[in-house]
Amino acid sequence: MSEDLLYLTQLIVSGLAVGSLYALAALGFVLIYKATDIMNFAHGEAMMIGGFICYTLIGLGVPFGWAVIIAAALTMGLGVMTERLVLRPMLGEPQFAVVMVTIGLSIFLRSISGIVFGHDNKIFPSPFAQATITYEGLVLSYTHLWAMLVSAFMMILFFLFFKYSRSGLAMRGVANDQDTSMLMGISVKKIFALSWGLSFAIAAVAGIFLANVMVLNIGLSLVALKAFPAVVLGGLESVPGAIIGGLVIGVLETLVGGYLDQTLPGAKDLTAFVVLFLVLMIRPYGLFGKKEIERV
Amino acid sequence: MRSKTFRETYREDMKVFQTFWVKCWLLLFIIALLTLPFWADPYIVYMTNICGIAIIAALGLNILTGLTGQISLGHSAFVALGAYTSAIMAGRLDLPFWLTIPAGGLVAALFGIGLGFPCLRLKGLYLAMATMSFGVVVEYAITHWESLTMGVRGISVPAPVFLGFTLSDPSQLFFLIIVIVGLHISAAKNLARTRVGRAFVAIRDRDVAAEVIGVNLTKYKVMAFAISSFYGGVAGALYAYSTSYLHPENFTLLLSIEYIAMIIVGGLGSILGSVLGAVFLTAMPDLIKGLFEFLGRQIPYFQARYDEEWNIAAFGLLIMLFLIFEPAGLNGIWTRIKTSFKNWPFTY
Amino acid sequence: MSTKARWTFVLILGICSGLLFGTSAFPDSRGVTKDAIQLGMILVKTGPVAALGLPQGWGVQDSFSELNGSGGINGRKINLIWEDDQFKTPNAIAAFNKLLFRDKVFSIVTMGGTPQTIALFDLIDKNKVVNIPNAMADEFFQPHKPYVFTLGATYETQIDLMFDYIMNDLKAQDPKIAVVYSETEFGKKGLEAARNRASQYGVKLASELVLNIGSVDASSQVLVLKKEDVDYVIICNLAPPTITYLKTAEKYDYWPTTFGINWSCDDTVVRACGSAAKNYIGVGFVGGWEDDTPGMKKVRELAKKNDRDPSKMLTSLYTMGVGTGIVYGEGLKRAGENLTAESFKNALETLKDFDTGGILPPVTFTSTSHAPTTSARFYRANPEKGVMVPITDWRTPKVLK
Repeated sequence: MSEDLLYLTQLIVSGLAVGSLYALAALGFVLIYKATDIMNFAHGEAMMIGGFICYTLIGLGVPFGWAVIIAAALTMGLGVMTERLVLRPMLGEPQFAVVMVTIGLSIFLRSISGIVFGHDNKIFPSPFAQATITYEGLVLSYTHLWAMLVSAFMMILFFLFFKYSRSGLAMRGVANDQDTSMLMGISVKKIFALSWGLSFAIAAVAGIFLANVMVLNIGLSLVALKAFPAVVLGGLESVPGAIIGGLVIGVLETLVGGYLDQTLPGAKDLTAFVVLFLVLMIRPYGLFGKKEIERV
Repeated sequence: MRSKTFRETYREDMKVFQTFWVKCWLLLFIIALLTLPFWADPYIVYMTNICGIAIIAALGLNILTGLTGQISLGHSAFVALGAYTSAIMAGRLDLPFWLTIPAGGLVAALFGIGLGFPCLRLKGLYLAMATMSFGVVVEYAITHWESLTMGVRGISVPAPVFLGFTLSDPSQLFFLIIVIVGLHISAAKNLARTRVGRAFVAIRDRDVAAEVIGVNLTKYKVMAFAISSFYGGVAGALYAYSTSYLHPENFTLLLSIEYIAMIIVGGLGSILGSVLGAVFLTAMPDLIKGLFEFLGRQIPYFQARYDEEWNIAAFGLLIMLFLIFEPAGLNGIWTRIKTSFKNWPFTY
Repeated sequence: MSTKARWTFVLILGICSGLLFGTSAFPDSRGVTKDAIQLGMILVKTGPVAALGLPQGWGVQDSFSELNGSGGINGRKINLIWEDDQFKTPNAIAAFNKLLFRDKVFSIVTMGGTPQTIALFDLIDKNKVVNIPNAMADEFFQPHKPYVFTLGATYETQIDLMFDYIMNDLKAQDPKIAVVYSETEFGKKGLEAARNRASQYGVKLASELVLNIGSVDASSQVLVLKKEDVDYVIICNLAPPTITYLKTAEKYDYWPTTFGINWSCDDTVVRACGSAAKNYIGVGFVGGWEDDTPGMKKVRELAKKNDRDPSKMLTSLYTMGVGTGIVYGEGLKRAGENLTAESFKNALETLKDFDTGGILPPVTFTSTSHAPTTSARFYRANPEKGVMVPITDWRTPKVLK
C-alpha cells in the first residue's frame, strides 16, 4: 500500500475502533427509546457507575470476567430500581417532562458517585493484552478489537432478541402501542423494567470498555454526549442505526482529526454535532428512524 | 374578607393584578427590594443580581419551552451570544450600556430567528438535539474566533457608566439589573395574555390543531425563538457586566440544563414560576448548607458531614421530585396555598 | 375602606417597616481576633475538575493544621473556610463576597482557575485580599498587582525550558517538534510560548494538534505525528488526556520523547501508562513525591498524618498546596502581632530566596514584583517504580536574543 493510502486506511480503522465504543454507548439509549419512548440522559452516568463498580470489584480481588458480570448485574439492578422509583410515576406524562426527569437523574447520579467513589483519577487495570494486532502495517489494539466484537455480538443478539424472543416482541409491541399491548396481556410495567435493566447492563459494559482506554473518573459520563449524535443520526429507534451511527461518527471524527486539525483546530470534537445538525435538517427523524404521521 | 374571587368578564380574568392586596404586597416587596443594598450585605446583593439575571434567562426559556412547547437545550448559546456582543461592544467600541444591553438581546434574537427557521420541521427530542448542537457550535465559535472574542484567554468587560457614575459594585449594578428585570417580567406577563401568547399555548398543546384554527406556525414558532433568545441575550449582557470577565467555559450545556431546571422547579409556562424557580435554585446551595449546619448543631452525626456534592445531588433530586410530584412547580404550590387560604375554612 | 384610606394605611405600614431595617455597620478589623485568624479559600470540590481542586485544598488545610498544632501564628490559630466554586466564574465571585462579607475573613489564601481569578481582580484590589492563586498567567503579575502573589513557574517558562532541554541537553540537530494542546487557557498559552521559543531557536513547529479534555482516543493525533515523523512532542494538557495520548502512542509503536507541563507531571501518569510512559519527561515546579529532601519528607508525613492516600490523588498538586500554605503561613508569621492586609503584604515582600526544603524552588517577592520564579526542573518517568524521578536541578530558561 502506498503511504497515503495506508494513512487513510489506518485512520478509518482507528475510527471504526473508536466508533465501536460510541456504538456500544449508543446501543443502550436505543434500547430504552425503542421500548419506552424515553431518551435517557442519565445513560452516561450508568456507564460511569458500571465502570466504578467493576473497578472496585477488581480492587477487591475479583477476577475480571466475574467483575464485569457482577458489575453489569448490579448496574442492571440500579436500572430496574431507577425505572421503578423515577420513571414509573411518570407514566403518561408528556415526553418533555420524562426527558427532564432523566436529566435530573443524571445530575443526581453523577454527584452521588462523586461522594461514593471519590474524585480521583482511577487507573483501570486493563485485562487486555498490551500488544497490538498488526496486519500489513495497520494497527489495532486488543481493547478496541474486543469492543468491536462485543458491539457486533450485541447487535446480532438484539436483532435475534427483538425478532424471536417473547420479551423482545413484547418490547416492540409496547413501543408501538402501549394500550393495545396491555390488552394483549403484556405487562407494560415488566417490559419497562426489563428494558431499563438491560440498557443499564449494556451501559456498564460500555463504561468498562471506556475506562480501559481513558482514565476512570466522573468525567467519563460526558462521553455519552458523543453517543447522542450517534443515536440521533441512526434514528432513535433503530438498533442497527445506533451501531452504524456510532461507527460513522467515530470514522468521521478521526478523519477530520487526521486531515483538518491543522487548518481548523479542534474541529474533531465538533464533527459529531455538525453532522447531527445537518442530518436533522435533511431527515428530521434520523437516517433509519420512522417518520411519524400525525392526525388531529 | 371575601371568601372567593368572582370574575365576571374575560377582561377581569386577564387582569395583571387580580386584587388590591396583590398590588399592596407587590409595592411593599418592591420597596424592600429597592432598599436592599442599604440594609443587606454585599453577598446578598450579589446573589440578588445573579437571581435577576437568571430570572430573565429563565423567562426567555419559559416562553419558548413552557409556553410554546419547543424543547431547547441550547439556551446557554443565546446567553453567550448576548454576553459576548455586549462585552465586545463595551470593551472594544466603548459603547454605553443602554446600547450594548439591547444590542446583546438583538444579536441573540437574530441568531434565534436563524435557528428557528431550520428547526421548524423538528419536534420533541430531535429539536432538543438540534438546539444542543447549536449550543456546541456557538461554544466552538467563541473559543476559536480569537480576534473577536479573545477565545480561551477570556475577555474583560468594563463597568457600565451611568451619567458619569461607574457602576462597578454589585450594589450599584443592582439598580440597573432590577429595572431591566422588572421590564422583562412585565413584558412577559403581558405577552402571555395577548393573541401572541395564546397562539404559543395553542402550538404547545397541539401544533397541527393550532394551524387548522388559523395560527401561522412558521410565524409564531420563529417568533417564540426570537423572543426567547432576546431574553437570553439580555441576560447574557447583564451577566457580562456582573462578572466583568467572560470565558467560553462558562457557557456549556450545563448552563442550559440549569435554566431548564429553573423553569421546571418554578413551573412550566408560568411567569411567576420562572421567577420563583430562578430565585429558588440560586439560593438553594445556601439553604442546603444552612440545613446541614443546623442539623450539625442538633445531631453530632451531621457535623462535618457536609460535602458540596450534596448541593449538586439535591439540585438533581429536586428536578426529579418536582416533575414527579409537582409538575406545576413552585407556582402550583403557591397557587394551592393561596386558594386554600382564600377559601378557608372551606376546601373549595 | 376607600381606596385612598387603604393606600394611606399601606404607606404607614411601609414607613414603619422601613425604619425597622437599620443600616448595619461593618467592623473595621476584619477576621483577626486576639487568638484566631479567619481565612478563606475558593477551590473546586465537585464535578469533573474536582480532582484538581481537592488535593491542592487538602495541602493548604494540612499545612495550616500543622501550623496550628505547633502553636499557631503569633498565638493565633488559623480557621480556614473552604468554598466550592464548581469552576464557574459567577460562583467564584459569589464565594468571594460570601467569605469577605458573611464570614468576614481576613484574607483569601488561594483561588482556582485563571478566569475566576481574573474576574476577581477588582474585588481583590478594593478589599486588599492578599492571595496566592493556584493558576498562573501573565495577567496575575503584569502589570504588578499589589495583593496577588504567584508561586510556581509560568507555562512560558516551562515551554522555554523544554526547548532548552531539547536543543542543549539532548543536542538535537534540526529537530521536529510538535505541540499537542487542549483548547483551554493553559493549552493555548503553551502553544503560543512554543511558537515563540521555536522561532527564537530558528526551528519551525512540525504540527500543532488539539487533544481536548474528555477525549476517548488520540489516534488521529498520533497518526498525524507519526506521519510527519515528529521526534519531540510537547503536551500542554491535564493528566487524563496525557494518559490517553501516551497509551494511544504506545499502541501505534510510536516512541518520540514526550514532554508534559506541570499539570501532567505527576506520578499518576506513570502509574496509568506503565511502559507507555518510558519516554515521558515532565516539567514540574514542586519536589518529586519520593524526593529525599526535608521538605518532601514533611509533605509525606503530613499526607500520612491526615489520611491522604498518595495513590488516590494528584500528588504534585497536594505538594503545591502544602507549599502555598507554608509560604502563606511564613508571611503571616513575619507580619507580626499587628496583622493587617498592609503589614501582611509587606511581610510577604520580605521573602528572599525563602527555602521550603525542596517543596518549591526558592521563593522571592519584592515590593515591585510578585512574579513567580522562573525555575523548574525535569522529571523522567520510571515505569518500573511508577514514579517521576527528577533528572535535573532547578534551572531557569536561557536568555535568547
